[in-house]
Amino acid sequence: MTSFGKINRRDFMKFCAGTAALLGLSDAAVPRVAKALGAASKKPAVIWLSGQECTGCSISFINTLHPSVADIVLDTISLRYHEAIMASAGKVADKVLEDTVKEGGYVLVVEGSIPTADDRFCYVAGKPFKKIVEDAARNAAVILAVGSCATFGGIPRGTPSKGMGVDHFIKDKPIINLPQCPVHPEHVIGTIVYYLLYKKAPPMDSFKRPLLFHGNLIHENCERRGRFDAGQFLTDWNDPKQVDYCLYLKGCKGPFTYSDCAQRRWNNKLNWCVGCGAGCRGCAEPAFYTGMSPLYDKTKEIRGIKVETIGAVVTAVTAVGLAGHFIGQAATGRLGKGGPREGGER
Amino acid sequence: MAASNTPNKRIVVDPVTRIEGHLKIEVELENGKVKDAWSSGTMARGFEALLTGKDPRDAGYVTSRFCGVCFSVHQYASVMAQDMAFGAKVPNGGRLLRNLMMGAEYMYDHVIHFYQLTALDYLDLTAVLAYKGKDAALLGIKDKIAALVAAGDPHPLLPNYKYDGFCVKDPEIVLTAVKHYLEALKHQVLVKDAGAILGGRAPHYQSLVVGGATQYPNVESLRRFRSMINESISFIKNVYLADVLLLGTGPLLPLGTMDVGGGKGLGGGHNNYLAYGAFPNANGALTLKGGVLRGLGNLGKPEPVDFNKITESVKSSWYKDAPPVHPYKGEQVFDLERKDAYSFVKSPRYDGLSMEVGPLAQGLVHGFPLLMSLVGKGVKPGALARIAARCEQTVLVADAMNGWLDELEADMGKSGFAIQDTAHWEPPAAGQGYGAYDAPRGALVHFLVVKDKKIANYQAVVPSTWNASPRDEKGVRGQYEEALIGCPIPDPENPINIVRIIRSFDPCLACAIHIIHPRTNEVLKFVVE
Repeated sequence: MTSFGKINRRDFMKFCAGTAALLGLSDAAVPRVAKALGAASKKPAVIWLSGQECTGCSISFINTLHPSVADIVLDTISLRYHEAIMASAGKVADKVLEDTVKEGGYVLVVEGSIPTADDRFCYVAGKPFKKIVEDAARNAAVILAVGSCATFGGIPRGTPSKGMGVDHFIKDKPIINLPQCPVHPEHVIGTIVYYLLYKKAPPMDSFKRPLLFHGNLIHENCERRGRFDAGQFLTDWNDPKQVDYCLYLKGCKGPFTYSDCAQRRWNNKLNWCVGCGAGCRGCAEPAFYTGMSPLYDKTKEIRGIKVETIGAVVTAVTAVGLAGHFIGQAATGRLGKGGPREGGER
Repeated sequence: MAASNTPNKRIVVDPVTRIEGHLKIEVELENGKVKDAWSSGTMARGFEALLTGKDPRDAGYVTSRFCGVCFSVHQYASVMAQDMAFGAKVPNGGRLLRNLMMGAEYMYDHVIHFYQLTALDYLDLTAVLAYKGKDAALLGIKDKIAALVAAGDPHPLLPNYKYDGFCVKDPEIVLTAVKHYLEALKHQVLVKDAGAILGGRAPHYQSLVVGGATQYPNVESLRRFRSMINESISFIKNVYLADVLLLGTGPLLPLGTMDVGGGKGLGGGHNNYLAYGAFPNANGALTLKGGVLRGLGNLGKPEPVDFNKITESVKSSWYKDAPPVHPYKGEQVFDLERKDAYSFVKSPRYDGLSMEVGPLAQGLVHGFPLLMSLVGKGVKPGALARIAARCEQTVLVADAMNGWLDELEADMGKSGFAIQDTAHWEPPAAGQGYGAYDAPRGALVHFLVVKDKKIANYQAVVPSTWNASPRDEKGVRGQYEEALIGCPIPDPENPINIVRIIRSFDPCLACAIHIIHPRTNEVLKFVVE
């Protein structure tokens, strides 16, 4: 049986086109995707572990239409262990995990951080979560850390439990970091398919984030970028004229955040954090959360990226009554290729 | 642990899956029935300590991450607490946007609970292979399951506990339910996406802020929102409600009416119910009503909630011994060496009583018509009644959505239309407030104290804390624990009734243990016997 069992050819090609699109591949690549996925004699096993998390990344992961979540979970991958989805519980569930780890060669997905203050902050099935991750990592083919918590510690890093990401603990395995709070479903599916196609991790930055998804600042491709350059900043959410103004004064972290949200958008392209008038909170960056706080106040600089180096602002800024918070600095145009690519602390 | 020397059979279920978070349930059996029970959350982060000293406006975004399944429900409670502390008045547009966002959250959340989180406890999947009908869609699903089983890889639908007498075995009903399980996977995308039209993205909306919301509505996006919501309403009424009625009044009725001893139903708790209500209308009245019921005597006619009557006990929790106090005065001094403590969850009590919260509580307080008629037919407050009440609550919220949309569209044309209180955006020098409402999992309240424009104290008393709480000063159990008492476990190797009862509450442990500390070494001794 092929990995696609009873899916008919037409649905299968649609699925392949959808996954190719996630990877930014052209239509010409669809037959190659189809060949790689169709040729697999066995669905790749996936173990999805949950540590110090809110399950938001799982809920985000299942928010996909093309390909559909049912196609992924039943036909593309063999989802052996996922506490929120799997039928079994307790000993029965634990045995599935044990057997799959013994089998080896699976994709290991980790959601949630691992406590460093004390192992006892996170126990599952009577074992420290840290040990469960270490045991599962040993026989994994590749590890995907999904969401801000599993990558860089996210919100838990600032709590008394001092949660840290997977690569703080695991040093001898390929780890791909897919941050954001929650993770973008297309980043997860795209990365899994990339791995199945090429049997290796995609090109990544120094924080192990795929460049495909985190190669550019949100600000560079923001639909409100023209408003920033023109010095038009939203100060009143009730003013219809300001609806698409730049959200920098409301604390938008788009100038400091490397992600493709502006192009990819969220929820099957319906909206995104800047689109809804709230602004970016910098969740793709290692500095998130504490390094991005206060979330709703304007930020001048985060680790080497300065707002005044990002846009030609100067003149129009005064027009909306901004008294010199970054005026006077030379506005040197868009961030060049040589600009800082690493936007935060670890 | 209290019962560690008992000769009776002990069962541990860890992890309890298909819930949010990490939960361990331990029970003691006597003559095939649960004699005593303990529930423990096993993961902790520590949000309150993180929030102290931060900009109060951060609290909505951060507390949203208590839970990503019931996403944004804490954000909503938090911005209400901020509204009060900042002195903000939410304009009508802001109220409607908030109602619509949280309504979409309800419509997504309750449906995935039924299909994705609990339905597999009641369906014998192996029965589908016996299907002899000719329905093409059902045959396709039968073939798919057969192929998965033949390939030796039916994860994640199998393995499961052994199917028992309460599992539906009619091939057509089971196949139809699996078909709906798959359709519900699409539905949850649809309705989250609808929410994102107003919320920016889902899970974890972005646009809920103090004083209102940030997404300025336009006619085109509202039209799209309405069309998606109406598609969801159609699923909720024609599929979700129909399935709950079919199963609840048919093959699962014996589960709902069974008596586990002393007139108590399977999964019945203390029969004290607390609801704060939710979804304010223009006149301030709530679409879902709140109130307090002490016992089953006054269904639909509750006493009003008095927030001063809420206390939190630390009798069985790893905190420094102290008498129960109101959350505003709550302290978190941890004591890991305390004898008889077995949980990081505190024990909230209302006027000293252990209360159940959630859709069953809210439905009994409100007097949901369908729920009342089921109770009249002998369905006891318990696991099945919780599932039914959750469904009826979904329908009530879904039915209100179009009205709120109409109001919003009418309001948008008027001068002075506003979505956020701009005058109260900056944090006050000092202030105090709370935000309370019924989240999908039940009565939720956040308490906020602001000093020097920063958070001085932040406390949340959340639904799963009420339900998952350990014993209090009087030795009174929490709701999960009480609900397990009397539960039949004919085969200790197959404790399917335990997970049925626990899942009927729709537990959210990440929410319940936002306040935390490491467990004692006691956890290392927990073994499955």
